[in-house]
Amino acid sequence: MELLGVLTSATFLAAILRVATPYLFAALGGVVAERVGVPNIALEGQMLSAAATGALVAGFTQNVWLGALCGIAVAAVLGVLLTAIVVELNADPIIVGIGVNLLASGGTAFAVFTLLNDKGGTTGLDSGTLPRVTIPGLDFVPVLGPLIGTQNILTLGAFVALALVWWLMYRARFGFHLRAVGEAPSAASMVGISSRRVKYLGMALSGALAGCGGVFLSMGAVSFFLRDMTAGRGYIALAAVFLGGVRPVGAFVAALFFGAAEAAAIQLGAFDIPTQFITAMPYAVTLIALCVFSTRVRQVQKDWRLKRRARLV
Amino acid sequence: MTIDHEGAPGAGHPPILELRGVEKMYANGVFAVRGVDLAINRGEIHSVIGENGAGKSTLMKLAYGLEQLTAGSVIVDGTVRSIGSPLDAIKLGIGMVHQNLELVPSLTVAENIVLGAEPGSPLWVNRRDAADATRELADRVQLPVNPNRQVSEASVGTRQRAAILKALGRGARVLILDEPTAVLTPQESDELFAAVRRLRDEGLTVIFISHKLDEVREISDRITVMRQGRLIATHHTADTTEAGLAAEMVGRAVSLDVERGNPILTPDVLRVEDLVTSHSPDHALEFTVAGGEIVGIAGIEDNGQGELMATLAGLLPARRGIVTLNDHDITRSTVKQRRDRGVAVVSEDRLRDGAALSLGIDLNIVVDRYDRAPYSSWGILRPSVIRHAAAELMARFRVKAPDATVPMSALSGGNMQKVIIARELSSGPLLLLASQPTRGVDIGAMQFIYEQIVAARDSGAAVLLASADLTELLTLSDRLLVMRNGHIVARFDSLDGITEQIVGEHMLGVAAHVDTRGGVS
Amino acid sequence: MTTVEMEDRAAFRTQRRNSALIDIAGVLLTILIALVAAFVIVAMLGKNPVDAFTALITGPLERPNRIGNWLEQTTTLTILGLSVMIPFRTGQISIGAEGQLYLGALAGAVVAILLPLPLAVAPIVATVVAMVAGGVAGAIPGVMKARLGANEIVATLMLNVIIVQIFDYLVQNLLRSETSTAAVSDQIRSEYAWLRLQELTGIPLSRANVGLLVALVLAGLVWLLMSRTSLGFRMRIVGGNPEFAKYAGLPVARTIEWSFILGGAVAGLAGAHLVFGVFSRLEPAMASGLAFLGIVIALLGRNNPVGIVLAAAFYAYLRVGGDVMEQQTDVGSELIIIIQAMIVLLVTAQALPMIVRRLRAKRKAD
Repeated sequence: MELLGVLTSATFLAAILRVATPYLFAALGGVVAERVGVPNIALEGQMLSAAATGALVAGFTQNVWLGALCGIAVAAVLGVLLTAIVVELNADPIIVGIGVNLLASGGTAFAVFTLLNDKGGTTGLDSGTLPRVTIPGLDFVPVLGPLIGTQNILTLGAFVALALVWWLMYRARFGFHLRAVGEAPSAASMVGISSRRVKYLGMALSGALAGCGGVFLSMGAVSFFLRDMTAGRGYIALAAVFLGGVRPVGAFVAALFFGAAEAAAIQLGAFDIPTQFITAMPYAVTLIALCVFSTRVRQVQKDWRLKRRARLV
Repeated sequence: MTIDHEGAPGAGHPPILELRGVEKMYANGVFAVRGVDLAINRGEIHSVIGENGAGKSTLMKLAYGLEQLTAGSVIVDGTVRSIGSPLDAIKLGIGMVHQNLELVPSLTVAENIVLGAEPGSPLWVNRRDAADATRELADRVQLPVNPNRQVSEASVGTRQRAAILKALGRGARVLILDEPTAVLTPQESDELFAAVRRLRDEGLTVIFISHKLDEVREISDRITVMRQGRLIATHHTADTTEAGLAAEMVGRAVSLDVERGNPILTPDVLRVEDLVTSHSPDHALEFTVAGGEIVGIAGIEDNGQGELMATLAGLLPARRGIVTLNDHDITRSTVKQRRDRGVAVVSEDRLRDGAALSLGIDLNIVVDRYDRAPYSSWGILRPSVIRHAAAELMARFRVKAPDATVPMSALSGGNMQKVIIARELSSGPLLLLASQPTRGVDIGAMQFIYEQIVAARDSGAAVLLASADLTELLTLSDRLLVMRNGHIVARFDSLDGITEQIVGEHMLGVAAHVDTRGGVS
Repeated sequence: MTTVEMEDRAAFRTQRRNSALIDIAGVLLTILIALVAAFVIVAMLGKNPVDAFTALITGPLERPNRIGNWLEQTTTLTILGLSVMIPFRTGQISIGAEGQLYLGALAGAVVAILLPLPLAVAPIVATVVAMVAGGVAGAIPGVMKARLGANEIVATLMLNVIIVQIFDYLVQNLLRSETSTAAVSDQIRSEYAWLRLQELTGIPLSRANVGLLVALVLAGLVWLLMSRTSLGFRMRIVGGNPEFAKYAGLPVARTIEWSFILGGAVAGLAGAHLVFGVFSRLEPAMASGLAFLGIVIALLGRNNPVGIVLAAAFYAYLRVGGDVMEQQTDVGSELIIIIQAMIVLLVTAQALPMIVRRLRAKRKAD
């Protein structure tokens, strides 16, 4: 039961939040993209680009904030690029996403090598980290205190991002337009909403969110960029989007779940449970959930008439 | 939001909306709408009626900017206007409620209504104001809705009212309703009509697109009949009879003649007993088709024929009942088993499931026999045999294409249908299930297809033919069934003296029943 | 597509040939543009682009060892491209090649490490085992998609991770070699190793092995499968229009499942190639990133076996050339990945064929 003790310790719970931060941001980005109608397979590449750009800029200018800003901006630009190719050139968003991921993988490694002559990453560069923040007075709160008392500013930022994304989607004008464009594009265009404009803006936001996650990777917990350091987190975020029902809160919780699994894998290395088992668990759960979820959807589709009626909105 | 308060319909004011010489021609030369002159008076309820494909929907889409004219002009309040998009139409006070309602499912009713013009600031949409405005509007025109109900969870009636309110909220002075009662229960339809009358009394002009004669005569001030893209006539409702309107709707100028033989009938090749399809759980169908005869099924679309044909083909499960083919029970047989027993199917929507468009004619044409000799043996395909057979079939069925490998997508509608007919008929079927066999097909191909269907009949096949084209049915059928609301409302064992008008009346629910079973419609 | 009513065979054949030529021209132009863009990038960075590109383009041919590397990578990429092509042609988007490859490699290696067999049958048995394992890995998302309508993209992504984790665990623990310090498995028994081409020809060709011939034969077999078998016919019809397939009485679900299973089996073969031909043992991350490249190659090769072989050869050449470029100049081999990415983006946009078509249409209208 040492195991249980470790898993419920405050340090572990705090670790969950830390480890989950990239997933939290990327999942939010994935939700925005999916809702505007352009599936964002490029979350991975956006995160990676932001991580590299952030570390490089921060290292060279010795200004972590500038680095973070540039990282986020690059990720947003990638989102716009993806949208341009999909919308203007009628390409398949999945393949374009894969292409952008490739571009990011090669581009970041190339940039690092060109600038630093380092094949592995920016470890030689002193790029610093974004500050940790202690919320005053929280130390006395029993569970929450140590849990969120001191975290990196970006980790807290993830919660702020959740609130902002939720607000944007459900309370702000743009969010209404965004959902309209994603769900009923002809209804949107009929009332003068420009599908194109909304998609570009939405995807830029999606990229920016993923970028925040990427910036955390290289400037949050550690202070360097490693080649291909995202290691598939972008794809995990996609699964979180789906698992969470393509909603901000749901995806956020699912991302926490994946983050918890990763944190557990790190901690439980000390015990007999193989880390691979822990790492694989969320994916296995998602796979099973996919089976259950799909069965329900199929029942509805079986009724032909319902399908016809379903076309009427 | 303003509603005009002008005088009584047609009371000496210029028409609020006028279409002059309006024409819509598609790239392949087909006319959806041709030479239409129509004037809608201020403050009237005007219905545009016609069969499916008559052009009534297209005509209104032209007025609303969803389609572009290829000739003619649209005149609003006496001024010629260019309506390039729905946005233009809305600015001119024209609103349209489509059959598919065009609402955003995850937004509430109120949010949908104010979409694009949301109250509040960019950072905070004032949903309460939106709900209040919606409630106010709804109360004023007496179209009750719950403003805070999410559209995806709202009833169809609510959704439709929301769509109407949306158009009104944008200052519509002319409201076009496209087949609004198609998805409503009779009760909801009554509520809709009451609301429409109230709106008219407030000065709104309403255009109804419909094919339901009884409803149209109940609600309209004037009625325009369209047929094959042309405007046949415009009447004051008071001057019309249902029978007269039915005749105008379904008649056809050109009639095609096909010679028929006198085959000996094989009784009960297809027997359908107590069959319940997914269309209507309350109605059971019962009929037979003999080998050597063509039994036609008449009916306005979506009255159950589609589901019936799909169930007989094995694409939909039967809820109850028995289907036998030459006394073999095929009720639970798979599509493949039915085809192997000699069932051939011409589906109603060839683009949806009649062809694989990106693949060649040859692959499409052997899809029912590829696994048999000589097209393949031991799982190995013989492409040269297939191509040769395809070329032969193409010649026999007059498919105009240079090569058997041409992709189906490159063929015209008529040619594509001929490929399908070639495949289905060349297998020498026992039973042919044909739905809308000449939809979207040019006259020349039509004639040929008719000849082929009759030839199949003459060689002993049982043919069940569902069509929205009455002329076609009367030309081809030996016997006729009429379906309405999911069950058979009339049976004609002899077509002597049966005119399109008579059948039309049954289709439209106008006439008294002949030989029905299963209750009153 | 223009309506074809003409019966002029010659005109149609010409039109079809022109269309194909435009497509090929589009692909070649895309490659050229990507290379030129990379050239410009290098120049802008103040490095010597001429040297870099000379190394890139001529490098692989300068030494037989490099040619060997080129052949070896062509082999793996060809097999991976073919494995993705089968579900693609059936209208399925399978990203599961990675997991299928690893499971195949794992199964094959277990047999090859533990089971002594005579030389004549050993490689065949192990390869079959690898392909069956790959097929099983393909069957899981295949059945989920065919019977439940589950999203195959998510299913394959999830399964990839699960399999890779299993692989990782086994290599680092149960199968871990006691003799080596790194986390690798034992060597496979010698009778299982695939013949190296340098033993066959006497020329030093690095790790290139008979897998190359296997890959080429496989390309032919896959071509035969798609165009000459009933199953292939069914897959093409389902890929063309699943509703039509259903209407025609084809077993749609079973066809989809088989496309995943066969695709998985071929990916398992790629795993076998890596274990028996290249590494002679299991190593962690031995195929990292290659599976995604398989998708790119299938796309570039237009889902056509001949195209895939050519695309694989091209990409492999780029990779080897990139390594040479990095050794001989100061330009990093990551540039190759950037070139690959640009090609993907340009090709998927179908920008160039579309532009060419628009220009032709405009000229006709004038």
